[in-house]
Amino acid sequence: MTIADLWDQRISAFLLSPSQFLATTSTESFLAELLHELRNDKTNDQLKVTKTLLVSVLLEHPTILCPSASVGEETALELLSVFSHTPQKSIVLKCNVMLAITNVIICTSCLNTHTKTAEDWLDLLFQMIQDINDYRCGLSQQPIRATACDCLREMETCSPGLLSQKLEALYLLKQQETTVLHQSYCLLYTLGLKNAIRILTNQKDVTDLEFKSILGGNEGFAWKSNQLELTSLPINMLVQVPRLTQGLDCKDLKSIMSLLLEESYLLMPISQSALLRELVEVVAMVPGLSRTLFKSQLLRLFGTADVSLMHATLFMKDTFTDSLFTTEDENFLLKRLVGMAQHPLLRITEKLFYMECILHFPENRPISSSGEESLPVLVTPRLAAFLHPTVFNDSATMLCRLNLLCLVHLEANEGEADKGIGFLFDHIMALLKIVDNDGSREVVVTSLRALFIFLMHFSGMEELSEKLIDKLCDMYSRHSRLAPNLIGLADRIQEHPRPSLVGQVAKRLTIHNLSWHLKVLKRVAKEGQITQRNTIYLLLNVLINSNLCERGNWQVGNAVLAVYRNLLDHPSIDQVFIELADLLQYISIQYDDTDIKDHARIYYTLLTNLSWEKLTGVLAKRLDGGRAKEPAQSSSESVEATGEVRNWLEVYQGQFQTPGFGSEVTLRYNLTHAKETDPLFDKVFTICLHFEPKDSNYAKVTDIHVPCVFRDRKSPEVKVKLKPFQPYPTSLCVSAMFTTQDGRSWHSRLPDVSVSFPEIFLPLPLPPNSSRECREQVFERIWEATASGNSDKSAISLFCFKPEDKSLADLIKTHFQGYLITDQQSERSWKVLLFLPPKCHILLKITQAEDAAQVSIATDNRELLPFLNSNRWLNRCFAGVHLHRSF
Amino acid sequence: MHTHGQDRPKPYVEVRDDYARQHRSPAVELRLDGPGGRTLWPLLTVTQGALILACLPLVEAPPEPRPPLPSLASVSQGLALLSGLQDFLCGPGGKPEPDVLASRLAALPSVLLQVCPLGRPLDTPPPAGSVPAAVAPSPGGAQKQPAWKAGVHRGRAVVSVALTEKVRSMQYGKSSQQDIWDVYGMVMCKCEVEGVLPNVTVTLTLPPNGSPLQDILVHPCVTSLDASILTACSVDENDCSAFSGPYKFPFSPPLELFRLCSYTSQVPMPPILGSYQLKAEENHLKANVVLKLHESVKNSFEYCEAHIPFFNQNLMGSVEVKVSSGQLEVSKEKSLLVWVLGQKFPKSHEAALEGTVHFSGTVAGPTDPLCTGLTAYIKLYFRVADFTLSGCCVDQHSVQVYSSAKPRIVTTRELVSSEYYIWNSTGDAPVSSGAVTASH
Repeated sequence: MTIADLWDQRISAFLLSPSQFLATTSTESFLAELLHELRNDKTNDQLKVTKTLLVSVLLEHPTILCPSASVGEETALELLSVFSHTPQKSIVLKCNVMLAITNVIICTSCLNTHTKTAEDWLDLLFQMIQDINDYRCGLSQQPIRATACDCLREMETCSPGLLSQKLEALYLLKQQETTVLHQSYCLLYTLGLKNAIRILTNQKDVTDLEFKSILGGNEGFAWKSNQLELTSLPINMLVQVPRLTQGLDCKDLKSIMSLLLEESYLLMPISQSALLRELVEVVAMVPGLSRTLFKSQLLRLFGTADVSLMHATLFMKDTFTDSLFTTEDENFLLKRLVGMAQHPLLRITEKLFYMECILHFPENRPISSSGEESLPVLVTPRLAAFLHPTVFNDSATMLCRLNLLCLVHLEANEGEADKGIGFLFDHIMALLKIVDNDGSREVVVTSLRALFIFLMHFSGMEELSEKLIDKLCDMYSRHSRLAPNLIGLADRIQEHPRPSLVGQVAKRLTIHNLSWHLKVLKRVAKEGQITQRNTIYLLLNVLINSNLCERGNWQVGNAVLAVYRNLLDHPSIDQVFIELADLLQYISIQYDDTDIKDHARIYYTLLTNLSWEKLTGVLAKRLDGGRAKEPAQSSSESVEATGEVRNWLEVYQGQFQTPGFGSEVTLRYNLTHAKETDPLFDKVFTICLHFEPKDSNYAKVTDIHVPCVFRDRKSPEVKVKLKPFQPYPTSLCVSAMFTTQDGRSWHSRLPDVSVSFPEIFLPLPLPPNSSRECREQVFERIWEATASGNSDKSAISLFCFKPEDKSLADLIKTHFQGYLITDQQSERSWKVLLFLPPKCHILLKITQAEDAAQVSIATDNRELLPFLNSNRWLNRCFAGVHLHRSF
Repeated sequence: MHTHGQDRPKPYVEVRDDYARQHRSPAVELRLDGPGGRTLWPLLTVTQGALILACLPLVEAPPEPRPPLPSLASVSQGLALLSGLQDFLCGPGGKPEPDVLASRLAALPSVLLQVCPLGRPLDTPPPAGSVPAAVAPSPGGAQKQPAWKAGVHRGRAVVSVALTEKVRSMQYGKSSQQDIWDVYGMVMCKCEVEGVLPNVTVTLTLPPNGSPLQDILVHPCVTSLDASILTACSVDENDCSAFSGPYKFPFSPPLELFRLCSYTSQVPMPPILGSYQLKAEENHLKANVVLKLHESVKNSFEYCEAHIPFFNQNLMGSVEVKVSSGQLEVSKEKSLLVWVLGQKFPKSHEAALEGTVHFSGTVAGPTDPLCTGLTAYIKLYFRVADFTLSGCCVDQHSVQVYSSAKPRIVTTRELVSSEYYIWNSTGDAPVSSGAVTASH
């Protein structure tokens, strides 16, 4: 393998995951190797390519490779020397190095702290751009000069005002340059000009002299102008546009601006749009400049097919409104936008963008200025008719058009609107008909999204909504696999007053495809307004008249229980109390799975022993989920939970950025002799222990070397470091190679090492001095995230028991001492967090009620639950041999 | 990428399929795995075949609340950059050979370095295969060289102007549903003319009483426009007194082939009016098609074909179909009839097809979610050289070039069909659009 191939591989590995790559080496050494290779004097074409690749790493990840300003400065210095030693003809490499130097200097704050290297580099760049029209270095060096302009522009952007004292020099260069590069000079000058004026707006009472001196500046770099940093947002993002004082003499500036505008035509469209934006900002800040300066460009811009130029025109409209655009202009521009939003020759993404622009059109007289989508007054049903969605549109276009047309018809006067809404309704029905024929994911999701948009806008029109819901029910009876989609839809519609969807669907349930139906029933059970008699009879019917109980499928059982869990806190539970109790008892006796039986028994006990208020209280506190209509409450909680809490969780999670963090479990063993062996083996030397994981859940274990083991001495301790991919119990095959006193080598198989589930537990990996608050907050946040059910992998479980011989506190102390987050004995509640590498958590909330203890379990990896349950590990912890899972 | 959901076994995944999320914007959000579960937004994407091009524009604003897309300058620049990248990688045909694509991908880093140094777009990448032939470096001098023109042309002066007009149509053959059609055109130019900023003017003219060209979009190299050219807009009320040419486009050309302008037009009739009747009889389908060429259309086609596909059926068995003109072919796949009308319609300007199609018992043909039952269509493919429906043309003598050497001027025009459907009038055609073009 050549050096080039080797670097190719390494760089690919680095780019794939810098943190993982740097875990195998150190940042300093990798950086040193990179720079060393770059200094390599040998030049051939392949090496040039490799070097360019190496530079690109520095270009793209300067902060990873240069973690501090001092490293940044050293690196920049090294790169500078690489730059000066690279031959003239290696243009691409030289340009890359220039960009890398600039990036390193900016990103490691060498620029902001005004280091010597930054200063030297700026001087060098400025010197390079003096060579206008390639007089000195020739045409071949043109890309270097272009790059120098780009670098300066970047530095001015990141440190606004840097060039503010050099504007005259830059202006002259821009004027004299006639090659294609005048674009670069033009952009550089304009940015410098804009920033200089922006800085001046911070100053009170600017005099004519000060104002003029900006344009005539021909001095050094302005290092101290960093005050602009906070206010360098584009003006459309500011509440108030900063303005210079009135009455300044703008004659020179005006002629400069006119010239820039006149020549803007020579720029690439994207650069032209950037230039126009800068000029708009300048005019907005200088009251002495007239907006009509742009008049000459308007027609050209109105007609443009280029999306960035059209966008810049809208920016101009937003900034100047009626001081530049008449009502007629506005009307015209809007019509153009509607026309472009459906123009057959424009690209789909451009048309989508223009539709967004219509909904955020900068009107001269906006009715609201909230920044929300709103329909411009001038967009009438007639104007928008061409944007009617069709079944032939791609999904984004269709949804975008539908949303726009819904808004249009909401605003329209009655007769017109009814007709328009009718068309939209037909469209939705046509989509649903397609779903009937083609169940591919995209078709289903797009059609239901369309339906959702329609319902959101026209939920008040009972008749249409009823029809749509009927159609959905009809579809569900034919395609029960749509259950998750419909539940998702129902959840969304729930936030708005249309509760009947799920209820309607429930009426159509049959025994086929039970697992889908159970999901729907679970959702239906959350509907307070729907009586649950049908659900219960259906389940009773299913359980008694099928072999479901004998089959004892855990998943089906769980799905059935999930329905009950929601039924338990249903407000009209008393109407079906007896049937529900019967059902639960039936399951607790008949279902052929212990876990399901246990759960059913818990529910039965809860149902029969607690009043409804208490029951819902218990369920709301202890179990997952909640009633569907509580989004407001939970969102207010999460608002409060910002600030410090989030910080701790971020601190905690941030640690995992460090490669290898918390990924290992260390197990300690003693290496001893078997009871009786040949005396030959009483003294063995240079033992090499080799471990072979029996499954793929663990990374390869490195061999362990032990110098010697003597029978009559203390047995040495061996630390086995395990790196789980999945923290499941496992066992390792162990073999040993060693030498005996007679010099012979032996190979022997040792007994397997089995790693039990608790052995993989680690305490919450936080810095050792972290406060209790911090631990508790992290615990709570992980709990919330797990309980929210957002992740496919998380799970919540509940476990009840009656501690017998020992007190609960003692049990917890014995088993969870190292993992306790809080220990509030007085309140009889404990929180325990078990961390399992690489990044799994099992959280326990243990509370003691009067005669029983409850353990709520949350985990972000549901695969771990069986290890808690099936081995009855938890049982063993708490009750020794006595197993009690009921009250 | 969640949004572009690779086909996963799970039919419904909340983060991907949630109904309330905005899936109608050109920008999507990308949720990242890992600590904090952060989100990248606004991610702009362009999909072409298996290729997904994406870029993440800079948001120069506080991230919350999310600023509207149109308030971010970088969004349109990102869109332009992506379009440019797409052209660069895929070329005009859109489907490059794998090895061609691989070599273009290999060139991508250096191209990006040029057009987007430090992540700031300056330009779009040059479209693949667009490098012009005889180019010399700019001569230097007082005249500033446009950034979009790498050098100057050397050699024989040639100006080619090609006008292509496309016509789309949906015909239903029902009084309850209006037929719709529209016409759009584009003018492609290639100007090999000497000088740094040579002036060229191309003029489009319409016949007397021609309906005005609408929605005119021009290339950024067009130097000035007359306000009247832009006034006509398809979404507007039709105004017969509107400006109807001549349309003058003064510009200074770039070196490569470019689209000078595009327009839409409203014509009173579709070029070919069709009717399609399909009836189910026992175990076969009975088809009856009539195509009528409008008298104003030049009856000289480069090609003209009607494709009659049969979806959600078994493969075709015996076909007993007669045509009054042209030939009928059964496709190899046995699911499509191709009626080749050839170069000319008969004198009556009308051609008919009639007969029955049987479907053999066992093998299922192609499926389509729209075309079930008697919902079926015919799709027309045709091209007429030296003709446009709008009547728009570029007169060779109207092309003015202000340069020292007299250039050779080549102008062409053509009409091409695009998405030209005739739906079976005895079945339910999918609602294409209720309100559109009520004016026709």
